[in-house]
Amino acid sequence: MAPEAVRAEVVRAVEAAIVAILPELSAGAIPHHRHLRELGADSVDRVEILLGALDRLGLDEPLARFSAVPDVASLIDLLWQRKLAS
Amino acid sequence: MTAQPIEGVGIEALNVYCGVAAIPVRALFEGRGLDLGRLPNLAMRERAIALPCEDPVTNAVNAARPLLAALGPEVLATIEILIVASESGIDLSKSIASYVHEHLGLSRQCRTVEMKQACYSAVAALQLAASYVASGVSPGARVLVIAADVSLVDARAEYAEPAMGTGAAALLVSDRPRVLRLDLGAFGLCSFETMDSARPTPQLDVADVDGSLFAYLDCLSASFADYCRRVEGADFVSTFDFLAFHTPFAGLVKAAHRKMMRELSGASPEAVAADFAGRVEPSLVYPSVVGNLCAGSVFLALASLIETARPERAARVGLFSYGSGCASEFLSGVVGPEAVAALAPLAIGERLAGRVALSFADYGELLAANLCCLVPERERRVELGPSLELLERLGERPELLVLTEIRDFHRKYRWA
Repeated sequence: MAPEAVRAEVVRAVEAAIVAILPELSAGAIPHHRHLRELGADSVDRVEILLGALDRLGLDEPLARFSAVPDVASLIDLLWQRKLAS
Repeated sequence: MTAQPIEGVGIEALNVYCGVAAIPVRALFEGRGLDLGRLPNLAMRERAIALPCEDPVTNAVNAARPLLAALGPEVLATIEILIVASESGIDLSKSIASYVHEHLGLSRQCRTVEMKQACYSAVAALQLAASYVASGVSPGARVLVIAADVSLVDARAEYAEPAMGTGAAALLVSDRPRVLRLDLGAFGLCSFETMDSARPTPQLDVADVDGSLFAYLDCLSASFADYCRRVEGADFVSTFDFLAFHTPFAGLVKAAHRKMMRELSGASPEAVAADFAGRVEPSLVYPSVVGNLCAGSVFLALASLIETARPERAARVGLFSYGSGCASEFLSGVVGPEAVAALAPLAIGERLAGRVALSFADYGELLAANLCCLVPERERRVELGPSLELLERLGERPELLVLTEIRDFHRKYRWA
């Protein structure tokens, strides 16, 4: 799969994982420059969103790899990188 | 010394002391203006609050004394090692254990030491103690392990403030394991360096929330995987009748269980929820009215499990301990009706229910004194009046050790 197609898959997975935990948001309207905390996710929500995204992408990664991501865009980039490497 | 048949090694007696006062978590949320929508994921109802006359020494002694009193002086004489596990040290050299040894009246022929590795150290102490007992180098010897801590949080900690507890867990380790017979050799480990949370000064806790939660969850997976390498056929779902984990807040344990079940069982969300209610929830009853007991947390969860599930036959418990920094361990043991009988006279649940309920204003008045609890001052007098008034409101209670002053850096205590 082309890298850009993989990226689109990662964006879909992350947005779906976010909406599953924060149903008041809609997938197309998630501001990628915001931290999940700013979107209303508490610490347990953030764990669930990350696990949901990893699950949807079939990735098995240590969560610690993701503890310092500053916003949704960086999360997408990091998952994209891991997906391409997998 | 009379030879006794060896029936395994583990915890002979267990008690927890979680202070005499508590604040409803909802009142703390409202007082701080925190988002009440976050209460369900926190899953905490009350938080134990210390008095200005309490510190790690009083917590340790007040947890261990009822346990030792019930066992009698001949048992006291067999305690050859005292380990106080804590992340709330009061001096860089002199240990909490040195004071605890004195106020418990332990034998002078007793190794006395403090251990530190954030919330994990007491499980390391238990495993080392059990190995000492099992080695047979000193037949009949007992080891007293006490996990004792205080919290140092205020409004700056935001949502961590309602989750922090105070108090101690005391466990007597011997070859008469009435409370928990350890599965010796059945354990899994995971440790690595990370700066997820720390206490860099006696008045400051720093925490990277995501870093700490993610490290806890990674360590649970990794230490359980190591357990499976050592224990042939171990299975997360079928090997353990119950689970009791280190509980920074009850909501994290729920998320941790869900993650493990998702990875290891393939169970439906409904089956995961039912499994949680049956195998995990009994361990969260006490932690959800105390908060994070730090080094003693997993033993508070174990006491909660024993007194809530009240096993009528032998039941295997999977235990997980995590300490920031970080070190972690998954281990197991067996509890049964003897454990229920051993804990009953200590009335842990009744004492938790009987604590004085504080308002947010009461809590605010105690906070400044609590935040300087660990500061190594040369001279300090503790204003005992308000604390003693609060103790009066408890009604019938055991005698408690209280801190009265610090004189030339030496902490002074008396019974009240």
